[in-house]
Amino acid sequence: MSILEARKIHKRYGNKWNKQEVLRGIDIEVEKGEFVGIMGPSGSGKTTLLNVLSSIDKVTNGSIKIEGQEFTKMKEKQLAEFRKNHLGFIFQEYNLLDTLSVKENILLPLTIKKVTKKEAQNKFAAVAKELGILEVKDKYPGEISGGQKQRTSAARAFIHDPSIIFADEPTGALDSKSASDLLNKLGDLNEKRKATIVMVTHDPLAASYCSRVIFIKDGQIFTQLNKGDESRQTFFNDIIKTQGVLGGVQHEL
Amino acid sequence: MSFKQLIFRNLKKNLSNYYLYVFALVFSVALYFAFVTLQYDPSMDEVEGSIKGAAALRAGAVMLIAIIIVFLIYANNLFIKRRSKEIGLLQLVGLTKGKIFQILSVENMMLYFGSMLIGIFVGFSVSKLLMMILIKIMGINEVATLRFSVEALIQTAVVFVCIYVVIMAMNALFIKRQRILHLFQVTSKTEGKVNRVSVIGMLIGVLGIGLIAFGYYLSTRLFSGDFTELNALYFAMLTILGSVIVGTYLFYKGSVSFIFNMIRKKDNGYLSINKVLSLSSIMFRMKSNSILLTIITTVSALAIGLLSLTYISYYSTEKTAEESLPNHFSIPNEADAARFMDELEAAKIEYTEKKVDFHQVHADLSRIMETYDEENGSFNPGDATMVVISDEAVEGIDLSRNESIIVNFPDTLQQFMSLKETGQISLKGQAQTVTLNYKGLEDRNVLPSLLTLGGFPVAVVDQGVYQQLKEDMDESIQKESTVYVGVDVKDKGEIEEADKIFQELGFQENFGYSSRLYVSSTGKITMGLAMFLVGFFGLTFLITSGCILYFKQMDESEEEKGTYKILRKLGFTNKDLLNGIRVKQLFNFGIPLVVGLCHSYFAVKSGWFFFGTELWTPMIIVMVLYTLLYSIFGLLSVLYYKKVIKDSL
Repeated sequence: MSILEARKIHKRYGNKWNKQEVLRGIDIEVEKGEFVGIMGPSGSGKTTLLNVLSSIDKVTNGSIKIEGQEFTKMKEKQLAEFRKNHLGFIFQEYNLLDTLSVKENILLPLTIKKVTKKEAQNKFAAVAKELGILEVKDKYPGEISGGQKQRTSAARAFIHDPSIIFADEPTGALDSKSASDLLNKLGDLNEKRKATIVMVTHDPLAASYCSRVIFIKDGQIFTQLNKGDESRQTFFNDIIKTQGVLGGVQHEL
Repeated sequence: MSFKQLIFRNLKKNLSNYYLYVFALVFSVALYFAFVTLQYDPSMDEVEGSIKGAAALRAGAVMLIAIIIVFLIYANNLFIKRRSKEIGLLQLVGLTKGKIFQILSVENMMLYFGSMLIGIFVGFSVSKLLMMILIKIMGINEVATLRFSVEALIQTAVVFVCIYVVIMAMNALFIKRQRILHLFQVTSKTEGKVNRVSVIGMLIGVLGIGLIAFGYYLSTRLFSGDFTELNALYFAMLTILGSVIVGTYLFYKGSVSFIFNMIRKKDNGYLSINKVLSLSSIMFRMKSNSILLTIITTVSALAIGLLSLTYISYYSTEKTAEESLPNHFSIPNEADAARFMDELEAAKIEYTEKKVDFHQVHADLSRIMETYDEENGSFNPGDATMVVISDEAVEGIDLSRNESIIVNFPDTLQQFMSLKETGQISLKGQAQTVTLNYKGLEDRNVLPSLLTLGGFPVAVVDQGVYQQLKEDMDESIQKESTVYVGVDVKDKGEIEEADKIFQELGFQENFGYSSRLYVSSTGKITMGLAMFLVGFFGLTFLITSGCILYFKQMDESEEEKGTYKILRKLGFTNKDLLNGIRVKQLFNFGIPLVVGLCHSYFAVKSGWFFFGTELWTPMIIVMVLYTLLYSIFGLLSVLYYKKVIKDSL
């Protein structure tokens, strides 16, 4: 069963005189429990795609369904309602609230869903343990490392068991050790919780943790790779190869 | 793009951005110009002449300038900080600091002097209104005419040109001190790191609340008889002031975060959106704003306190006059009274006459004294001089030979000494002493306070005893007159006419002669001007402090934009966020207001009785008005936040 279903999505920026088409008819389907990576060179529209899929930005044309619910025509209030029930977010710049402790940050999504206090504490304990941030729960974001911040951010995305989690360059600001740490954890959670994750990245190593990688170029799907039963190393090599073909700038001589 | 174009473009863009800066300028100029116009207006001569108002007005103008300078410098600092990025950019493309300063100066000049012209125009229109208000509250019969005063214009121009130079100097300093990198960083720098609440912070918090409580406690004891010596009283006042101000500072520095932290702790990490936006945001900012907030609170408290006290005096002028003068006209001389009454008859004014015989006796009040500090007191209860009258002079009272009551007991005096319910008093003439059973206090005034040794209580005895005391009276302690004639005009509408006759006879000049109307209307003129001045400054202060808090909120909202973005991504609606912001503003504006109101309440409570006879009505009117006007700024910031939240995602 597919969790996310996007059909022919177009996104145009600008006004009547100066239009720029960033997304040109993209079709994407994500199955439940999949860990999908979106890759592409700078300016290919991958972040725009993620924003559109995650309801933060509106599409110009096309339809997007999450768990069978079409949300492209929803009003702001319904969208907020939709986000709090179905979506989780992890961002490159962590997006934690500086004035809240780690625990308070993680529990935020539950407060809108009016979960009982006891249940909230249980969920927190479980997710914080899995991500290894139990010991820093009373610290403020300013007092912990980048890796811990990103795991906090991940914990916040997972705690309310959303239908789908969107991650925008989650390893972008991390050193290699923290990055692989985070990706391992994400992979674990993907398996244990059957969580669906869509991740945008330009790092082939990060992408190699995914089960499927979609390549985008100039607002269109260029190709996609399935990991299947391959080892992570061979999948990584495939990704590198594809990326090489994809290139950054077209050299026309 | 030429230099000129650059300036114009900037100006156009900034005008919509910094409408509040423009507002602050227009407001300051209007206020100052209105004030100075009043000062120079010929119709103010009466005010100036009557009570040396000139000095008061001049001192007021100086104070106004001080407030305006602080306010404008603060506003300017905030806005130049917001433009630091733009300044950095200009520097990056190769403009020299001198050139940038030139651009800023020209821009500011147009903005500044444009606002000044509008301000002068608004000020002129407002000054007529102010004049009408002043004349109305002073109770003078005059029509408010106003001319455009060139002197006022020049004075305003000079003052604001000077302020402009000061502001430009500060801008120059700001530009000079910054490096390109700094300029880019100013806005992104948050106000200090998020610190956890430490044990020291907690101690500071507890100490702050303790100091405020101590100050409040001391203020309730201030005039209760504990401090009767002048030096002790003075020292106590300074202690109160010091402990409350320091306490307020510590309160902001520690207590607020401490209390908020306790509330947060209770939730064990499960924080509702309202708390996220209000508690957690405020508790970390309170500390860095503590000096600003202390100043705002202290001056608000001062403004509310002074406004309440002056309004109490104004509100009570009639009552005070009534209390000190029991009849419309007081004449302590039978022949003069007869003359006055003849005149009244000639003018066909109906009246009633009341004659009271009185004289002074030695009195021993020590057995009915409840509390009185004999060592520091101004009289000796064992041998005091007091006025005695017959029970026939007091309507509805008939005493037997061994009884006595006390009348003419002013409220002010009750704060210093209180009397027992019953007891014995001894009254002594030249040779004899009569001891009487004291039956209590009768709350009414029979004689004007001028004739009762400046407001000392009066003993009432049986007519027989009175005669006995009178024959035996000690001549050495008697005053000029021993008879009082009070005249009441029957038709209230004719009092004014009767007052005219009274004044024509020249009676008001003599000691003990008094017209209640005259006393209350002169009181109104004095108190009216005082109230007008205090009100003017109260309002100025209210608006400037409101604006400063609003500017601060504008700044904060920009800084917290990222937070709103995150929260909206998490699925909080605009409405959820706005509710949180409402709570935040309630605290942000509410905390200084409530603390200020509390301070002023205790300040007024401790000594209001020196100013008038009515505490609650005038004080509550002042406080409610202040709160209402103040909340406007809270509402404005909520509206501003609404926009920021909407634009955040």
